[in-house]
Formats: sequence, C-alpha cells, structure tokens
Amino acid sequence: MSDAVIDQKTIAIETERYHHFITLALWLAAITGVEIVLIFLPLPAAVLLAVLALLSAVKFFAVILWFMHLIYDARLLFWLFFAGLALAFATFTAVLMLFETGRIDTKWFA
Amino acid sequence: MSHDAHHAPVASKLELAPERSDLGLYRPDRTRGLLDWLTTVDHKKIGVLYGAFAMLYFLIGGLEALAIRTQLARPDQTFVTARMYNQLFTMHGTTMIFLGVMPLSAAFFNFLVPLQIGARDVAFPRLNAFSLWAFVFGAFVLNASWLFEFGHLAGWFDGFAWHQALTYTDFAPANGWFSYAPLSGTFGQANAALQAPRFTGVGTDFWIIGIQILGVASLAASFNFICTIINMRAKGMTMMRLPVFTWMTLVTSFLIILAFPAITVALIELMFDRQFGANFFNPSAGGQPVLWQHLFWIFGHPEVYILVLPAMGIVSEILPTFSGKALFGYPIIVFSGAVIGFLGFAVWSHHMFTTGLGPVPTAAFALLTMAIAVPTGVKIFNWLGTIWGGRIRFTPPMVLALGFIWMFMCGGFSGVMHSAAPADSQQQDSYFVIAHFHYVLLGGVLLGLMAGLYFWFPKIFGRMPNATVAYVASGLVILGFNLAFGPMHYLGLAGQPRRTHTYHAGNGWEDWNFVATVGAFILGIGVFMAFANLVYTAFKGPKCSSDPWDGRTLEWSLPSPVPEYNFAQSPVVSARDAFTEHKHGTKRIAYEADGGEAGVHMPSQSWMPMLAAGGFLFIGFGMPMMAMGIPHAGWIVVSGVAVLFAGIWFWALEGPGGYMLKTPAVSPTPAGTPAASTSAH
Amino acid sequence: MSQDAAHHAPTSTGIDHKKLIMWLFLASDCMFFGTLISTHLLYRKLYPTGFTDAEGHQQFVQKLFNIELTSFSTFILLMSSFLMALAVSAMHKGQLKSFRRNVVGVIFFGLIFLGCQVYEFTHFYHQGLTIQNSVLGSTFYVLTGTHGTHVAIGILWLVMLYFYSFTGKLGGHVGALDVEVAGLYWHFVDIVWIIIFTAVYLVEYLGPSGIWGNGLPVLAK
Repeated sequence: MSDAVIDQKTIAIETERYHHFITLALWLAAITGVEIVLIFLPLPAAVLLAVLALLSAVKFFAVILWFMHLIYDARLLFWLFFAGLALAFATFTAVLMLFETGRIDTKWFA
Repeated sequence: MSHDAHHAPVASKLELAPERSDLGLYRPDRTRGLLDWLTTVDHKKIGVLYGAFAMLYFLIGGLEALAIRTQLARPDQTFVTARMYNQLFTMHGTTMIFLGVMPLSAAFFNFLVPLQIGARDVAFPRLNAFSLWAFVFGAFVLNASWLFEFGHLAGWFDGFAWHQALTYTDFAPANGWFSYAPLSGTFGQANAALQAPRFTGVGTDFWIIGIQILGVASLAASFNFICTIINMRAKGMTMMRLPVFTWMTLVTSFLIILAFPAITVALIELMFDRQFGANFFNPSAGGQPVLWQHLFWIFGHPEVYILVLPAMGIVSEILPTFSGKALFGYPIIVFSGAVIGFLGFAVWSHHMFTTGLGPVPTAAFALLTMAIAVPTGVKIFNWLGTIWGGRIRFTPPMVLALGFIWMFMCGGFSGVMHSAAPADSQQQDSYFVIAHFHYVLLGGVLLGLMAGLYFWFPKIFGRMPNATVAYVASGLVILGFNLAFGPMHYLGLAGQPRRTHTYHAGNGWEDWNFVATVGAFILGIGVFMAFANLVYTAFKGPKCSSDPWDGRTLEWSLPSPVPEYNFAQSPVVSARDAFTEHKHGTKRIAYEADGGEAGVHMPSQSWMPMLAAGGFLFIGFGMPMMAMGIPHAGWIVVSGVAVLFAGIWFWALEGPGGYMLKTPAVSPTPAGTPAASTSAH
Repeated sequence: MSQDAAHHAPTSTGIDHKKLIMWLFLASDCMFFGTLISTHLLYRKLYPTGFTDAEGHQQFVQKLFNIELTSFSTFILLMSSFLMALAVSAMHKGQLKSFRRNVVGVIFFGLIFLGCQVYEFTHFYHQGLTIQNSVLGSTFYVLTGTHGTHVAIGILWLVMLYFYSFTGKLGGHVGALDVEVAGLYWHFVDIVWIIIFTAVYLVEYLGPSGIWGNGLPVLAK
C-alpha cells in the first residue's frame, strides 16, 4: 500500500493531466467572465439565452469530461450519467411546458 | 489489502480469533443467533429478513383492506368512522406498495441476484444491510402513526397543552397514498411560528417522513444492485446470458434511482410547506397544487413498473422451468422489459387527464400510454410461446405463474381503456380504477411474488412447502380475488366513487359490494394459508434436494440452504440457462481454482449500518412530533441527524475488515448430477 | 466507504465498484436537482415579477440579486473544482503532501462559497424575501439551500479525508480511489452550480425586461 508502487507511467499521465486541468481552469474562468459581460449587452433576449445556455453546457461538459475524468474512464460511466441527465432534462422541460401562464390567476402576477 | 493477511483461513466463522476493527471495537463476526441476524451483511440473510418483514406488512395491509371491505359490505354501515376509513385506505395503499410489494421484491433481489450471476455477495455488503434497516425503521415510523392514533382515541394525550392546541387530530395518515396537495398541504398565511393552517393532522407528517426514509432505503439498495449486476458477473456471464429475473432487477433498479429523486424533492417541498410555512403547494400564496401531482406521478408511474417488473422476471424464470423449454424470445423479453421501463417515464400525466392539461399534451400522453401495451403484449406472447408445446408440470409455482399471466392481462385490458382520455375522464376516481390496478398489482404482482416464494423457498431453506395446501391456497386466492375485484369494474362504471366511506342504498351497488366483500375474505384466507404454509415450511417442512424443480439457472447448482460463501469455487459459464446446459446439454459449467484450503474472502459483519439507519428512527419520530407542537421535538430530529452521521463516520473508519473462509472443493461430476450438491454443507 | 468484498477481484467491466456507484448516484442526483431547479423556473415563469415584502411593496428579482457577489462565488466554486482535480491527481501520483495542500484549498474555497451564501440569504431576508411570504422565497431558498447543504456535506467529507491522510492509511490505489470518488461528488456540486448560475441568476438580466418578461428595465438598478 506504500506510495513507492506508483509507476512512472502513472506519473507521466497525471503530469500531462495536470497541464490540461490548468488550461481548463483558465477557460472556465474566462467563460464565466464572458457570461457576466454578455448579460449587459443590448442584444435580443433569445440570442443571449441561447448563447448563455451553450456556454453553461460547455462548462458543464468540460468539468464532467476532464475534471471528472469521463474522457479518460470507461465509456459506460458517461452513458450511465448521461441517461440520468437526459431524462432529467427531457422530463422537466416537459413539466415547464405543461404549465401555461394563460391559465394562471393573474392576481399572482402582482 | 492487509486486513486479512494475519488471518489463516477458517472452516467456520465461529473459529475466528476475536478481531478489532480500525476503530478498536470488536467486529461482530463470531456472533450467532439474534446478534448474527442484526449485524449480518450476508445478502441471503438480508433477503430473508426483507421477506419476513414484507410478509408481516402484507398481512397488516390485508387486515386494513378487510376492514375497508367490511365497512362497504352493506350500505350506510358504521363499522368504522369516515376518518378511520380515510386512514385505513391510506395506510392500506401505502403499506401494500412500500412495505409489502417493494420489500418482497427486494427480498428476491437480495437472495437471488448474486446467486444468479455467480457472485459471492453484493458489491457493497454493509450498504445492503443499511438499506434493510432503513426500510425496517421507516416502516416502523409509518406504522407507529397507528399507535399515536390509538393513544389519541384512548384519550392518553388529552391533558397536554400541545394536544389541546391541535386543530386536526388525525394521527394516522388520511391523505391517500398519492397525498395530493392542497389536501396534504397548507393554506393561508404562515404565523410567527412559521406554521400555516393545514387541512390534515400530523398523520400526513408521519407519511412524509416515512416515505422519505423508505426512499433512502430503496435508493441505496438500487445503487448496490446495479453495481453488483454490472460489475460482479462470473466469467462468461455476459449481459445477454443473464437470467431474466436479474435483467428485470437491473431495469427496476434503474427505475428506482431515476424516479425516486422526484418524490424525494416533492416530499421535501411538502415538508417545508407544512413545517416551515413555505408556499410550494399553498394555493393562497400562488403555489400550484397540480405541481405536486406532476412530481408525484413522475415518480408514481415508474413506481408501477418498479412493482410489476420483478414479478415479470420471476414468471420468466418459472415458465421455462416447468415447461421444460428455454424462454421463448429471450432478447425480445429483455428488450421489451427495458422499453417498458423507459416508456414508464413518459406517461405520468395519464394519471392527470382530468386536471385539464390541454388537448396536445393529453393526446401525446394518451398515445404514449397506448404504446406501452406493445412491449407488454410482446412479453405475454413470449410467455405463451414458452409454454406452447412444452411438457408442462402444474406445480404450485407454475399454477400461480399461469394465474399471473391471465390476471395481469385482465388488468392490462382495463389499463388500455384508461389510456383513452375521454373514457378515462368517466372512470377517474371510480371503482373501475380500483378494479384495474388491483388486477395489475394483486392479480399480477402478488401472484407473481407468491409464485416466486413457492419456487425459491426450497432453495432458501432447503425445505419443500406442502403442495396440497399450496394448491388450495392458490385456488382460494384466484377465486377470492376475482370475486372481490371483478364486480368493481361494474360498480365503477355504475358510478360508485372511490375513497368514500359509505354509500346509500338504492344506487344498485348493494349486491356487488357484498359479493366483493365475500371475495375479499376468501382472498384473505387464501393469502394467509399460503403464507402460513411457507412459515411452517421454513421451520418444520420436509427436506428436499438442492435441485427439486430441475432448475435452469446457477442458483440451483448450489446446495440448499446455500452456504454463506455461495460458490465454493467461482463458476465459469458458457451458455444462457447455464445449469440446464450443464445437466442436459454440452456446455458444462467450469470452476475457477479459487476457494478450497486457501479460502474465499468474506466481508466482516458490522453494527454500523444499523446504527446509521437508527438515526432515521429519531428523525422519523422527531418530525411529526415537531408538527404536533411538542416542545423541543426539533432536538430529536437534530440528534437523529447526528446519529446518522456518526454511524456513517464510524462505518467509514472501522474499515471493511474481512476474513478467509475455507470451502470444500467442487469435484467434477457427470452430467445430470448437480455439481455442488456433492459438497454438502 | 464500504467496498467490502472483492478488492482484488477484477470487476466484470474493469470499473471500480466505488466509482461506478458514485456515477450512478450522480445520475440519480440529476433528477433530484432537475426537480428543484424546474420547480423554481416554473414559478418564475408563472409569476415573473418577484414578491411583495412585509410592507406590501412590490420587489423585483433583478433588484434583489447581487450579480457581482454571485459571480464571485461562482468563480470561487469553479476554482475549488480545479484544486480538487489537482488533489485527485496528486493522490494518483502518491504525493500525499500535495494532496493535503490542494484539499485544504478546496475546503477553504468551499467555506468562502458557503460564507457568500450565508451573506446572500441574510441580505435577501433583510430585503424582505422570506420562505413564507412568496413562492419565490420558497423555491429560491430551498433550491440554493439544498445546493449549499450538498456543499457543506462535501466539505465535511473532505475534512475527514484530510485528517484521515495523517493516519497513514490513505494511500495506494484504494486511497486514490477514495479521494477520486469524493472528488466526483465535489465536481458534481460544482456543475449543479454552473446550471443554477445561468438558469436562476443570469437569465433574470436578459433583454430589456428580463427573460420572464415582467416589464421592468433590468439595468435600472
């Protein structure tokens, strides 16, 4: 169980990952910065929403693929997680669409 | 790992030297009797405990059903009060679903899955014990509400200030198993003590926390089983060689881990409404009660398949065995099971047609619901294909399994009727719905589970249940069941509403209600006989061989009862229905060179899973007591959380432990002789 | 926590039990946070304006939110995720000291995040938003509070691993796996926040009147 059993190959792999992690951290910070600037731009809401959704999806997948090692690990893990993610996304998109604002008592808009 | 290096392999765990865990406490490995059962991490013993508790709650839920039927036997009866009636149907539904069917399915998962895939245990044995005790304590909390109710009726609480301050005094849940808001929730404004007025008493709080605890138990168990099935298959046990029961366990476990979070959050939200004055479902503050219905059925519809898929898996094992044929269309059966599971997430709103979803969603959910009939029908035809041309042996499990197909189909037909939204709006909240889901859950699931009990009982205890009693009991169950629920189709279409404590004479409902009550009592006698036969068999029944049915899957290659290490040597399979191929075909089961004098690794027993789950007992009583307004009850909840965390912490720190157990060698045997039956335990 | 059996036995898929069960848990947690986030978004859609405070004044969400503070805590949580990745990497390389340095950083950043959340809750409470006075208060506090509870549990877990590393028992493949699984949990808490940051906070500022369309000019803060 001692640390001496760690072989050189593992160290080389982890050192390479180390550099990926630093690059990714910088990208994540940059994207977050862009997001904050974006909301102050005088563009149509739909355009901004699409860009924001895309950027947060990029951040989301960057973290699960690199920080959470999915890109290095067995593909099964990705699909297991993706099943939960896709199901949650589909189900709750449907729930949000099933409620129509027109059917709500307007006194609660106040 | 170093933990087993200093242990020489032993023949029995009672020969182990006392060993301290990393915490410095003695590990309960050498216990026997009650202490052994309380600290066990053996999946077979955990399975038996699940089964025993499930059968107990089946009987309790059955008594509640009989009380309901007694009240409804004649018009204008006063056998129970309206309030007690509400409590009875609420607890009947909740008990049967969460404390009867689900744990009995879990009993089969526990006992069978490792045996069917050729493993020695589940992936996380202590987590498995935690699931069991969380279930036991959650079930206790839920039913303890009855004790409070009886205490209230007996007047024990009358002198207390908190009791006098209660607006509503129903202590047992009276909100229905679906607990629809706003009935289960709050209205108006919260006061300074963060409490908003409620429509129901603390029974609902017992229900909320009880279901929450049971959800934790089911989730933990399901993570464990998926891990076990994906990761611990014997060599050669590819996914498409898995027994169908194991496949259905896998699908069910996925349904549980993806469906239960929705109800977990819904329960948290409802709890916040009731205990802390939040407004999630409070209509006076703009909360949408219909959101509760969505969240509940996003869980609730997959839950229906969580209940039925294990029974389908059981039947898919029994029919080939007693037809002497391989399962017809194995890949199609597996695939249609997975499709049912997947579609199960896309049809929740068919429970809500009458809430007014709008034409497009209603049509979409109606079509998707009808689509589920396709994979279900595929399964039925595959089962028929299996028995077609087979050499059928009408043993008790086979009779029950055939009953399953027949009754489940009837339930399926009325289910398709519900999927047509216009028809559904006539049937909603009528006895027709009761008839439908009892044909599915009782005619389907209960018959399937009873078939499984009679099929695997000889493997679990090495003793054979009395066949005559079993035939009589099966006949009574099927007869009584049809008498009880068949007429409800008519009663429902004739307009009798469900969840109503009585009815007046002159509606034309009297005769069929009386027949239904007679049928219910026949059914009750049948189920009691079937269970009594099993309990007697477990202790006193005649011993039987390790493979009394000419079984097809790996568990039948083991001695009965199965030794604690399961497989003396790990099997290597090269065919589906590995044991049948081994006995009658050409592809023999091979065995790896593990075990023997070198021993196999056994996980250590532990008190920590029970300790951690014990925290739920405090939380489960503390939350409703907070709602009752009992002073300082919040500290009971806090201490429960502390116990839970302490249990998990000690669990992590004590280390997994483990010891080596010697196993007898498996000698090569001629075809037709069970390989492991020579290595008698 | 409890990988009792079969440490030596290779698994059928080659994936460690602990890693597999953690990913399954995270798949399940997607549905959990999906329910919470959609509850919040649903009520934002139905009642886009905001809430009424104790004095009966209409309050707007955009005026309530403090996007500078939230951006700061988002950045902090992203960086904690980065340090967590480094801590896992260090364990794989057998560098216990590097692991400790990084994990202390994660814990520190996690505590800053929680501190920001405590400040935010207090601030909102003084602005008049309570869990009782509106659906907005209920959904916002319960959603972000549940996320905060996840963060707190993660911090507790990492603190325990930190102290455990001094016993000499945390090491080798098993130790690296234990840290990696804790790391998966931590990263997940981070990605949930990535979604919350966009779906709960940023969208309130879009367009001339917010994405939910309440008629209030956003930038008139």
